[in-house]
Amino acid sequence: MAPTACFNCKEARAVIIRPKNRHKLCRACFLEVFETEVHETITGTKLFYPGERVAIGASGGKDSTVLAAVLKTLNERYGYGLDLCLLSIDEGIRGYRDDSLETVKRNAVQYDMPLEILGYGELYGWTMDQVVAQIGKKGNCTYCGVFRRQALDRGAAKLGIKHVVTGHNADDVAETVMMNLLRADLPRLSRGTSIVTASGASDIKRSKPLKYAYEKEIVLYAHHRQLDYFSTECIYSPEAFRGSARTLIKDLEKIRPSSILDIVKSGEDMAALVPRDVNQAGNKCGSTVAADDDIGGCGSQNGRSSGGEMAAMEKTLVENESAESRETEIKLPKGRPSNASQQKGVKKQTLGHCERCGYISSQRICKACNLLDGLNRNRPKTAIEVSVNLEDEETSSALLKQMERAQLTNG
Amino acid sequence: MAAGASIPIIVEFTYRPGFPPFGGLELLFGNERKHKVTLPGSMEDGSPTNIAYLLPYLVDNLMQDQRKEMFIMEDNVYVGQICLAMHETNNHDSRPGILVLINDADWELEGEEKYELQPGDNIVFVSTLHGG
Amino acid sequence: MADYRQMKKPNIQQIKLLLPLSLGVSSSILLHILNADIQRQLAKPYGGLGYDLHILVVDPSTILPSSTKYDQAYEAATKAFPDLKLTRLPFHSVFEYVPDMKEIIQEYTGPHFSDDESRSNQDRLAAFRAAVSTATSKADLDSVLLTRLVVGYAKNTGCEVVIWGDSDSRLAAKTLAGVAKGRGASLTWSVSDGMSPWGVRFGFPLRDLSKPELEQYKSVCEELSDIIISDEPLSDNVLTKNLSIDELMMRYVHTQGEKYRGVMANVTRTANKLESTAGSDDHLCPLCGGLVGNVKGNSGVTVANQSSDNHSSKFCYGCMRSRPEATC
Repeated sequence: MAPTACFNCKEARAVIIRPKNRHKLCRACFLEVFETEVHETITGTKLFYPGERVAIGASGGKDSTVLAAVLKTLNERYGYGLDLCLLSIDEGIRGYRDDSLETVKRNAVQYDMPLEILGYGELYGWTMDQVVAQIGKKGNCTYCGVFRRQALDRGAAKLGIKHVVTGHNADDVAETVMMNLLRADLPRLSRGTSIVTASGASDIKRSKPLKYAYEKEIVLYAHHRQLDYFSTECIYSPEAFRGSARTLIKDLEKIRPSSILDIVKSGEDMAALVPRDVNQAGNKCGSTVAADDDIGGCGSQNGRSSGGEMAAMEKTLVENESAESRETEIKLPKGRPSNASQQKGVKKQTLGHCERCGYISSQRICKACNLLDGLNRNRPKTAIEVSVNLEDEETSSALLKQMERAQLTNG
Repeated sequence: MAAGASIPIIVEFTYRPGFPPFGGLELLFGNERKHKVTLPGSMEDGSPTNIAYLLPYLVDNLMQDQRKEMFIMEDNVYVGQICLAMHETNNHDSRPGILVLINDADWELEGEEKYELQPGDNIVFVSTLHGG
Repeated sequence: MADYRQMKKPNIQQIKLLLPLSLGVSSSILLHILNADIQRQLAKPYGGLGYDLHILVVDPSTILPSSTKYDQAYEAATKAFPDLKLTRLPFHSVFEYVPDMKEIIQEYTGPHFSDDESRSNQDRLAAFRAAVSTATSKADLDSVLLTRLVVGYAKNTGCEVVIWGDSDSRLAAKTLAGVAKGRGASLTWSVSDGMSPWGVRFGFPLRDLSKPELEQYKSVCEELSDIIISDEPLSDNVLTKNLSIDELMMRYVHTQGEKYRGVMANVTRTANKLESTAGSDDHLCPLCGGLVGNVKGNSGVTVANQSSDNHSSKFCYGCMRSRPEATC
């Protein structure tokens, strides 16, 4: 087959086909188009202001590495005037994080950015290895996710930074849209596609500048720029909703590659169509808002691993259906996030400080402290875990897998 | 090229310049990232050796993991999906994708599995696995 | 149906309903239910019908290989429901019932397709469909045109409401497919009861019945056996990439529905909760009736990102995705 010429420059050999419009581009044109589109996203959404200090949630994986590289390039090319740094969380998993943290450390040198690494051990007194030793492999993602969220906020606060960017890409956003449809989660449907997620539980702003970038293009960008990233390759068993949504997205991509972006577009429109009261109910509950957005580390892709959420919801739906007439609207099962604000009842929107640790929290005791209580009392399963599970389904289960892998590799 | 002559090529998994392999596709292939492979110049039916031939060849000759569905799925020569085998269960809900690059170009540009291999070709399998 | 009966109360005039009948399971059963209701009403001494039911059968032979099965089923339906008004139209009559459709299509397809006015409507529709390259775009535009034909006919006959026979499984698939095709903003009327963009209301009375339940109904309803053209069983032997998005979603809902029926039903219920923000100044797509641009309050830039590919912003995002391309 004769080499195809680049659609853009008409000269060089095309090496990629863009999923969103099937344009065939050469290496140089692809890199430039990719960067320009991220730039347009940033300017189109007025994401930054000159002089802003921005922390890049860095895991050493492809998404956050590409994010760091592109932001550095754009900051210099267009004179954003951003003060960029890398922020990494060390969950304390021997054999796994060592390598990804080494990658981040090299990135810090390569991109000439300051790096802050914050460990679970120093923050909570528990590394994830210790958590797993205590509670076993099941359900520990909840801990990891809750700890990670706070760790990021704390890391940013420690650096005096109010804006954390994460590596979420278009595939992630599309997956989340489909997942929220499947689990009838209107509040998250109204927030999940937003480029900026203000966290109710802290004054740290989070955003995802790569939200319109295809995962495939991120990988290719990293490949063609020879970026130094760590392949956190492990398999996940995401919770059923996300797993089901992900399968669907991958199938859709085969049929019509643009559909990932098309789902993002649909998701953005649907978000604006979510009735206001639902929207506000969701936003009142600070922790729910915060839980909705997570760091673009490995955790960005994963649901909880406790599994069975989809089956549990199905069961509740069937029970509701048999209990009530068909004409009645089927109620959301208990503990669904849209009900979360009512369930919590007290202190919906008053942001206070955790009595235990002083961290900003919408509840008397913040989630991390609740979990720590359970750990410290040597109770593997706490009642709290269940409720937290439901709120934090987007947080990491990757670590569990990574730990298992690390153990396999070591053993 | 003359049918029958052998075709030496390079096959790489999860290209990450300059770093020790860890945790990538190479795990399925004896933890080696780079493989020198010599293929026959023509396939059984006499036609030139192509990617469709290479895929099962890799599974039969290079792959050290038993689970070949981890590498080749559906359409049987379609390497669009992979599931890395670090788990006991094969959770087919979580198959991430693999990109195939032929001399650095997306294999779609080169005719996918119908691409006829040339001596010295560099075939790279890049995982698009999640991981931030 | 009581809803529609009550509608007439303020007026003496009956409300006119249009039921598009595909002769598949769902719409045939809806017809059967309505017919029973009508017979009941007529049997009452002082009864009167609250509604006037029109039935439209769109003949798919323009777009599918014609089959005698279809003719037989239509015959059976007219015999089984002698009191009802059945109309049968070919698919290409969309050009008659939507008079500006030819201009719309001409503009939509742009330079990649030239309409030949000397040809018959049937040939023109076939030529247009042939210009659409992928299974997904074809299926997408077919359903757009079908909706336009049904609405055009409804307006022509003075029907205020179109009642669609979609089951909950079908609506779930439609919802997911709509989202995947960038048509999320249209869900407020395409799968939800309410006003369509053309001033005709849409209703989905079978929204709570699943395909298996309808199959059960059919099994105890002998008079329907000659009418219903059963769906072709889903073949396992199809490559995903050759499916249309609509087919993929039907399959998805079908397979997942076996285990998670309630969750699948959730999909449509969630979409039904979305509230239309339609305003009079909205720019609507001349082809599908969907909103052009973003819903108010959506500050996303997906549309902006796409704009460089568009020759015109007259059509909505979803339709631009299905437009025939010169390149592929």
